[in-house]
Amino acid sequence: MKADTLKKVFPIISITVVVFIAVTLLGLTDTVVRPRIEWQKEQKIQDMLKEIFPDMTEYTLEDDIYMIYSDGAEIGFAFLAVGKGYGGNIDILVGLENETTVKGVTIISHLETPGLGARVTESSFRDQFAGLNIDDVALKRDGGQIDAVTGATISSGAVVDAVRATAMEKVKSLEKRE
Amino acid sequence: MDKFRKQFIAGIIVANPLFVLALGLCPTLAVSVTIDNGLAMSGAVIFVLVASNIVVSAIRKFVPNMVRIPIFIVIIATFVTIVDLVFQAYIPALYETLGLFLPLIVVNCIILGRAEAFASKNPVVNTIADTLGVGVGFALALVTISFFRELFGTGSLSLFGVDLFTLPVLGEHPITIFILPPGAFLVIGLLLALFRRTGVTKSE
Repeated sequence: MKADTLKKVFPIISITVVVFIAVTLLGLTDTVVRPRIEWQKEQKIQDMLKEIFPDMTEYTLEDDIYMIYSDGAEIGFAFLAVGKGYGGNIDILVGLENETTVKGVTIISHLETPGLGARVTESSFRDQFAGLNIDDVALKRDGGQIDAVTGATISSGAVVDAVRATAMEKVKSLEKRE
Repeated sequence: MDKFRKQFIAGIIVANPLFVLALGLCPTLAVSVTIDNGLAMSGAVIFVLVASNIVVSAIRKFVPNMVRIPIFIVIIATFVTIVDLVFQAYIPALYETLGLFLPLIVVNCIILGRAEAFASKNPVVNTIADTLGVGVGFALALVTISFFRELFGTGSLSLFGVDLFTLPVLGEHPITIFILPPGAFLVIGLLLALFRRTGVTKSE
């Protein structure tokens, strides 16, 4: 009788032990590498901000808006915009040098088709944004100043529209704050 | 020693997971776009394959038959999560390109397949020989597929982020379909046919 009960609960005990060991191991690994992962994320944001604002020396984050400083003087601000692309969301980092003018954009992540929509990440497309007035950030067929990537009108339009819409919204919220 | 060598070699050619058994095709289709991706994925798979099967083999006498599959999965998932965290912390660029396919190694049928068919019935030493063979076989196949897809799909080759060379005509007009999912089917199918025809691999 006793041996029989033991036989029945042994599978439960064994799987409990295995899961317990697995969880302990994972907890340990996480404790070891977590600071490094946080540091990588921080580094990535800083690198991308630097790409748009090469003169940046420090930045602060206030309500989703990165304020960019060069030796204590404010030289612009940046924020995230999300475009609805062909393959999914396109995360874009947008930098403005003042309330009306775009400084630059970088694509943080996307799921567009390699060789087609994914070419919105190339500088030949992104460089078109620099120095534009926010109102002119639109595809040429919509009366704006931006050439779409050949064969990737949806991806290009998604980036352009997200940049314009989010820029207008963020500028408004900045003005309200002041 | 001879037996170990046989077990090791078997996984590379006679029982190559991709070209003979056609296992683990799903991550292969998605990841084999560049040689760098292929190498990183191979490294991750070999580590998980060998490490988790060593554990499966070591505890095989204590695992009740009834719950063996959940236990194998927990062991595999643990190693996969460790790889996932380490990639995220130390090689974030590769972590991003491999994306979802890194955690999906958990359900890679090559690994559970070896655990069920070999590691759960054989001692640790034999398991190491067997899984290393299968792992190297997978890596060779994956890198071969990646080589052709990168070469035709982008017209150039790069290794560890360094550009090696660009082909004259293809460099300007790459055959884009090769880096898209259908290209993976084409390359895998053609290589499979080639290896069968030339007798490198045999069907069962």
